[in-house]
Amino acid sequence: MAKSLEEQGRSRARIFDTIAGIVLTVGAIAFVTDLFIGRTGFNFGYVQSEIPGFLAATQLTFYVTTVSYFAGMGIGFLIGWARTARTASVRKMLRDRNAFLADDERGWETGLKTGGLVAWSGLKYVVRRIADGYVEVIRGTPLFVQIVFAWSVLIVNTPRLNQLELIAGIAALTANTGAYQGEIFRAGLQTVHSGQVEAARAVGLSRWGAMRRVVLPQALRLIIPPLTNEYIGLLKASSLLVVIGVQELTGYGKSEAFRSFKVFEVFAMVTGIYLLITVPLSKVIQAIETRLRIPGLGIQATESTSRV
Amino acid sequence: MIRVEDIHKHFGPLHVLRGITFDVPRAEALVIIGPSGSGKSTLLRCINLLVEPDQGKVFIDGVQVNRSDIRPEWARQQVGMVFQSFNLFTHLTVLDNVTLGPIRVKGMDREAAQEKGKQLLARVGLAPKAHAYPAELSGGQQQRVAIARALAMDPKAILFDEPTSALDPEYIREVLDVMAALARDGMTMVVVTHEMGFASNVAERILFIDAGVIVEEGRPEEIFQHPKHERTRAFVGKILR
Repeated sequence: MAKSLEEQGRSRARIFDTIAGIVLTVGAIAFVTDLFIGRTGFNFGYVQSEIPGFLAATQLTFYVTTVSYFAGMGIGFLIGWARTARTASVRKMLRDRNAFLADDERGWETGLKTGGLVAWSGLKYVVRRIADGYVEVIRGTPLFVQIVFAWSVLIVNTPRLNQLELIAGIAALTANTGAYQGEIFRAGLQTVHSGQVEAARAVGLSRWGAMRRVVLPQALRLIIPPLTNEYIGLLKASSLLVVIGVQELTGYGKSEAFRSFKVFEVFAMVTGIYLLITVPLSKVIQAIETRLRIPGLGIQATESTSRV
Repeated sequence: MIRVEDIHKHFGPLHVLRGITFDVPRAEALVIIGPSGSGKSTLLRCINLLVEPDQGKVFIDGVQVNRSDIRPEWARQQVGMVFQSFNLFTHLTVLDNVTLGPIRVKGMDREAAQEKGKQLLARVGLAPKAHAYPAELSGGQQQRVAIARALAMDPKAILFDEPTSALDPEYIREVLDVMAALARDGMTMVVVTHEMGFASNVAERILFIDAGVIVEEGRPEEIFQHPKHERTRAFVGKILR
């Protein structure tokens, strides 16, 4: 089939676009490389000899990220669950209850029941507000500040603590990812239809049983992609621990740069290692996402960059 | 088997149930009818304590269950429930839907529960679908699985909350047939439904509820052909039309 003139023009333009793109990219890389290392050249020997050190630092990055991530997942689940709780103000509840008790006897049994009800919903109310506040505080402050804050708390109260920086760093990352994962869990739990819980309870499962056997399995399916995204975000965010002197990948790179003065090589390597970790991981997410997605039910991933 | 005494329920300022009392003897099929918003569903949920009554007593097999020293989970094990929108667990196969309760609530071992589950599925005519997922079934099939799920707990009674209202017309028959068979086998049932055929052929007794109170109760032919109250007459006229 003969192509129309218009189509020919379009495909020619496309080829031109591609060529121009390649030329520009190569030119830009050459320019930047020259700008950065034109004077000294890239020292491959140095990079090769320093690989073990970088690997150890990468290990620490993984360690810090993974520990914080899973501790934060526990927090996130509880926070997310608490934030799905429905609460009524105690005053309103008492008013409603009094309204119909007025024309009935108010025996001690009714009183006890009312007391129990108020205590239970009061507890729910308080837990809910604490969870809300926690998420507000974490999301409303920069991670950088949270790290310095955690460090300052430890350095003031327990200055002799072993590995103080590492502990402060893990604590800050845990608290941070806890809030973000809390939002992911909340979204996931809210997506599961309320009839599912009702059916689970009707079978005789407890609150926790319904959560564990019915709601969580359905919610997890939906939130695996955003949760994995959160891991990537946290891994990148762990580079901020450089500020309190943790020798993870970025921290190690900084010390190494000052020691050897091979500044460009060091940070080229640091950048490359982060990319080697995050790019495959995000491909994995995409694969999971396309496999698990239920049309119309997907949950938006939280922006992992917005915290910094 | 089931007895409720002077049940009241408020939702905020709304007084949904205003003192309802009735008895369901063993092996009776009781049908509850009434306009929407009259409190039928809430009443059913008060029986298995999915909704806790503000006032009044609920007895199951002679035991008052809405007491602080009885876990509501225990009460719910005694009484099965079938929902308007099926509410099958979407992430589990049909067989796992049926066996979840026996395994996790009653602590039955897996093999025994599955054996029993398969028998129950055969009873509702769905043995070949044991390993399908709910989303792969028609509405009528899903509702029959839901009935098997309720039966799996060996309940003393089953509550049906408009079990055919969400079904396409061609699937209503199969669900009603299963329910009628249950009634014949002597299951105690409380059914909220507007299926007049089912109500007149299967039910021993009908309660007409409006605005949170029982307006009239009686045998199906009394309620449908010779209603005593004006409100009953108006409502029956509308649904029989």
